[in-house]
Amino acid sequence: MSIQESLRIVPKGDIALLEWDLFGEKVNKLSTPVMFRLREVVEELKKSSFKAVVMVSRKSKIFIAGADIEEIKRINTKEEFNKVLTQAHEIFNALEDLPLVTIAAINGACLGGGCEMVLACDYRIASDSPDTKIGLPEVKLGILPGFGGCVRLPRTVGLPASLDIILAGKAVDGRKAEKIGLVDACVPAQQLEERALAWAREKIAAGAKKRRKTYRPVGAMNKFMDSFLGRPVVFSQAKKGVLKETKGFYPAPLKALEVVSRTYGMSQRERALAIEAECFIEVATTAVSKNLIDLFYMMEAVKKQTGVEGKDVKPLPVQSIAVLGAGTMGGGIAQVAADKGILVRMKDISNEQLAVGFRHASEIFGKYLKRKRITKYDFDAKMSRISGTLDYSGFQQMDVVIEAIIEDMNLKKKVIAETVKHLNPECIFATNTSSLSVTEMAEAHPHPENFVGMHFFNPVDKMPLVEVIRGPKTSDVATATIFELSKRMGKTPVVVQDGPGFLVNRLLMPYMIEAMFLMQDGMAIDVVDRWYTHKFGMPMGPFRLMDEVGLDVCIKVVKIFHKSLGDRIEVPKLITALNESSRKGKKNGRGFYLYDAKGQQLSVDRAVYGELGLGAPTNPLTEKECLERGVFTMINEASLALIEDRIVQTPQDVDLAMIMGTGFPPFRGGLLKYADALGTQYVAQELELYASKCGSRLRPAQPLANLAKTNRKFYATSHKGGVENGVGAQAERGV
Amino acid sequence: MAQDRDVVLVEGVRTPFVKSDTKFKDVHPAELGRVAVHELIERSNLDVNMVDEVIIGNTGNPPDAVNIARVVALRAGVPLNVPAVSVHRNCASALESITTGFERIRAGTCDTVIAGGTENMSQLPLIMSKPFVQAFQRLMGARSTGQQLSGLFNLIKTDLRQVMELVTTSPLVASPHKPRVSVVEGLTDPFVGINMGQTAELLAKEWNISREEQDKFALASHQKAVAAQKSGRLGEEIASVFLPPSFKEFVVEDIGPRAEQTIEQLAKLKPFFDRKYGTITVGNACPLTDGAGAVLLMSRAKARELGYKPIASIRGYAFAGLEPERMGLGPAYATPVALKRAGLTLKDIGLVELNEAFAAQVIACMKALDSDQFAKDKLGLDKKVGTIDPATLNVNGGAIALGHPVGATGTRLVVTLMKEMKKRNVQFGLATLCIGGGQGGSVILEREN
Repeated sequence: MSIQESLRIVPKGDIALLEWDLFGEKVNKLSTPVMFRLREVVEELKKSSFKAVVMVSRKSKIFIAGADIEEIKRINTKEEFNKVLTQAHEIFNALEDLPLVTIAAINGACLGGGCEMVLACDYRIASDSPDTKIGLPEVKLGILPGFGGCVRLPRTVGLPASLDIILAGKAVDGRKAEKIGLVDACVPAQQLEERALAWAREKIAAGAKKRRKTYRPVGAMNKFMDSFLGRPVVFSQAKKGVLKETKGFYPAPLKALEVVSRTYGMSQRERALAIEAECFIEVATTAVSKNLIDLFYMMEAVKKQTGVEGKDVKPLPVQSIAVLGAGTMGGGIAQVAADKGILVRMKDISNEQLAVGFRHASEIFGKYLKRKRITKYDFDAKMSRISGTLDYSGFQQMDVVIEAIIEDMNLKKKVIAETVKHLNPECIFATNTSSLSVTEMAEAHPHPENFVGMHFFNPVDKMPLVEVIRGPKTSDVATATIFELSKRMGKTPVVVQDGPGFLVNRLLMPYMIEAMFLMQDGMAIDVVDRWYTHKFGMPMGPFRLMDEVGLDVCIKVVKIFHKSLGDRIEVPKLITALNESSRKGKKNGRGFYLYDAKGQQLSVDRAVYGELGLGAPTNPLTEKECLERGVFTMINEASLALIEDRIVQTPQDVDLAMIMGTGFPPFRGGLLKYADALGTQYVAQELELYASKCGSRLRPAQPLANLAKTNRKFYATSHKGGVENGVGAQAERGV
Repeated sequence: MAQDRDVVLVEGVRTPFVKSDTKFKDVHPAELGRVAVHELIERSNLDVNMVDEVIIGNTGNPPDAVNIARVVALRAGVPLNVPAVSVHRNCASALESITTGFERIRAGTCDTVIAGGTENMSQLPLIMSKPFVQAFQRLMGARSTGQQLSGLFNLIKTDLRQVMELVTTSPLVASPHKPRVSVVEGLTDPFVGINMGQTAELLAKEWNISREEQDKFALASHQKAVAAQKSGRLGEEIASVFLPPSFKEFVVEDIGPRAEQTIEQLAKLKPFFDRKYGTITVGNACPLTDGAGAVLLMSRAKARELGYKPIASIRGYAFAGLEPERMGLGPAYATPVALKRAGLTLKDIGLVELNEAFAAQVIACMKALDSDQFAKDKLGLDKKVGTIDPATLNVNGGAIALGHPVGATGTRLVVTLMKEMKKRNVQFGLATLCIGGGQGGSVILEREN
């Protein structure tokens, strides 16, 4: 009964109004039962006396969100995929072949399979609501449009516009869709249904003729691009663009391009669709696709999480926040908060310092303005949300205070104790420390339950991760409030326990140190960095990263780590020499690389080798060794952080944090997914080998060694009292 | 005795007052107002949901923010459901906003009002001549290419005439194609057709006020302002303005007071409005200025409920009218009425903020208040209103040094007065100013304990 309700025909005279309202769900999606129901409906319509059908959604912000990703995730074999795709093709073909005039009235998200379905209709009418988004995001999940989208979209809107959507996984709003010919009209959202019905009546009056919209290029340039001469140029340009964007790590967009190039202009629909299916199966069965889908699920899971286990814990409402310290971090936090409608009061010790914060925010909003992401009215409104103060005026009204002053424990404690006097007792106090103990800092707060860490990464506007650090006394409410605030600020929060470097910096530190050892062993800076970016897929290599962080900061943190984590962190000799040099990285223009005044990277500073007492690099090590030593040392550290120190709860936390916080290649699924894919045994063996050659720092840690004994996976291992949870754990079970 | 519907001043703040065409020249008056209101909210730890209305004075009426109060309110974070109104009583617009708020609270229609004013005289527009405007409109309405070409030709023709007239006549003399300077027009009385400076010249002559007396007064204004800047007294009422759009610079204090000002320098200046027989110079008149201010008004009951300790209460106010050509004497007309409404006499007043549009005008007011003859002839009173002790007058300097952003000054007077009353432990204070067009406005404050 329920599935019947989900897709129902409401007669309106000659017209059948087809209402989509998936039973028991917030969104409409094309799961197998829904597809079967659609087939029934199409059959029914075919036999009926209706002359037209108008499809509408009864969900407020969703037309059809897409195919059911859960199903795609479950399918593993080519045969199963083939069955699902063939079925979908048959159903959409039947829809396309209906003798009735078919009209989709689109309001809200119409993505993936939803978009592919409306492309099988005669006419599409979109609402002008900002919620209306029509597009094909498949490549973001490592797959390609497989329900006919690669065939029908280019036919409908032409090559340039369709490649733009398919290859980047883009979605367009109603107006843009009308402009490129994806929809026939963009109408006021309030009148969508009546206008679609009127459109149907008009078409019936004109004889209820079918039509198949086919792109007709207008203008010489478009005609050329659509011609047999122009097409190869379009395809090769598109390919170049994709390769530049993906560095060749993501097969889906290239495959999608292949489908379009092989099927564009093809008259036999079935043959074209078969090519699409064949290519879809090729990419959908890759690990890349599985990894990207898992990542999607992890992100979706965060949206639903609260950061704490108790279901009845409610985050406190946050209207205004105070930021202590208006430097790069403080200004960055202020900008991100103001962007999302939160009032921010920056406090610093001088107007000169406050100006730094204001300037930082205005520069970022200025960029948005230049790129037309916001209007000048938005710019004024957003900047207006930020105020500056030298005293504690206004602090009584603050819901959250975020401390972002310099990394000095005593100073921070002093500031916390002083600030608390001016706050209301419910105010949550967060510290944006990257290396100091949240537990110790909390001692300065009279109510340590209201004290929590909120570690943003630099640059705040671009880095999506926030580590929410729970001290031993931090309350659930404080954690949930900061978790929710991070989400509101557009960030992905991961809850971590207090410990040196928390999670991300703790894992990065041995990795950066290992890079220095590689250099000590005769490797060239740029060679190592290029391998990490071009062969492994990191956004930047370890040396470039150290320059970005600041060499002085790195040295300081290495020392802190050495103190708290002991000999596991071996300090390379280079550090002493580096410490004595004036190199601070990007901020003073001199690090491993040289930078111009604007911070643009110029080239490796050849002088650095000599300065650090090294000869000219001879590059004696293999690519494999260079990559493995760096990445495996992170895996090693992660095993300790996850299994022994319980800094985070699940391997998903590690992977999400690494992808969001360091740009660890998403197509690899995350650090521990990658370790599992290689096998823990292999990782441990290799580490053992490197350890015997290069020093005990690389010896596999106990938790990793334990896993390796039976080649168990991080994801299959229970880290929480025997309860296996999380999508990844389920996916890997029994493999 | 204390009544629930007494109107109290909880907090007050203003931006720096900055000489026009300097630091604030590119800052929209709405942004100046926003800073003042935003800081007022923060400094008073106000829950913005408590605000019943925002009332902002402004005279320039910027074409891109015609109800500037609404723009100021929304940008400052006041909720969407709170109404906002801009008020205009020329030089007293930012006093009008306070008295309007006072009436609303007294009447019980509001409990919490943000009142203030903002003005950016640097941004007052140049008004194009009528022929130019018509030519421009014709071009805008042109459809065919022929119409467009002839429209363009026509526009160039009027433009050339404009340039011709600008080179052949003195800039401020009216002529048919020349643009008009709105700040000049605004400072010319539309009823009697004389300039504000000329009204001051009239008072100087009628009340026999010498050039020397005026220059001395002006010098004292600078000296008092500079001293107040140095001691930090003025700083307390000022909120820094960070300058958009780049925010590279900021202003923390008034740009106007001159520490190095000497009487000799003032004496050297030529009379500006009456070159031959005049005494009013740019040195003993207030400069064009940009700035904003805001105060938080509440009913006594509301302030008590929210746990505020108000700084002062408003005992009464009055506006009065007089001959436009003697507008500078306005305070002498409004003050006795306000005093009467407050049930006080001038003797009770321990501090006075009397806006210094012109030194001559302030001195004339003091003389008039101290004159039995004036009281009899003009006020219908038996004897003089009283004497203002110069030591209680404009203790932190006045508009000659600080400047007079027309639509913001009224609030500045009240803010300075309430803060000084508290510091000096003065029971009653008077804030008063003359109003272009021939009016005076006065408000009497009482210190709260």
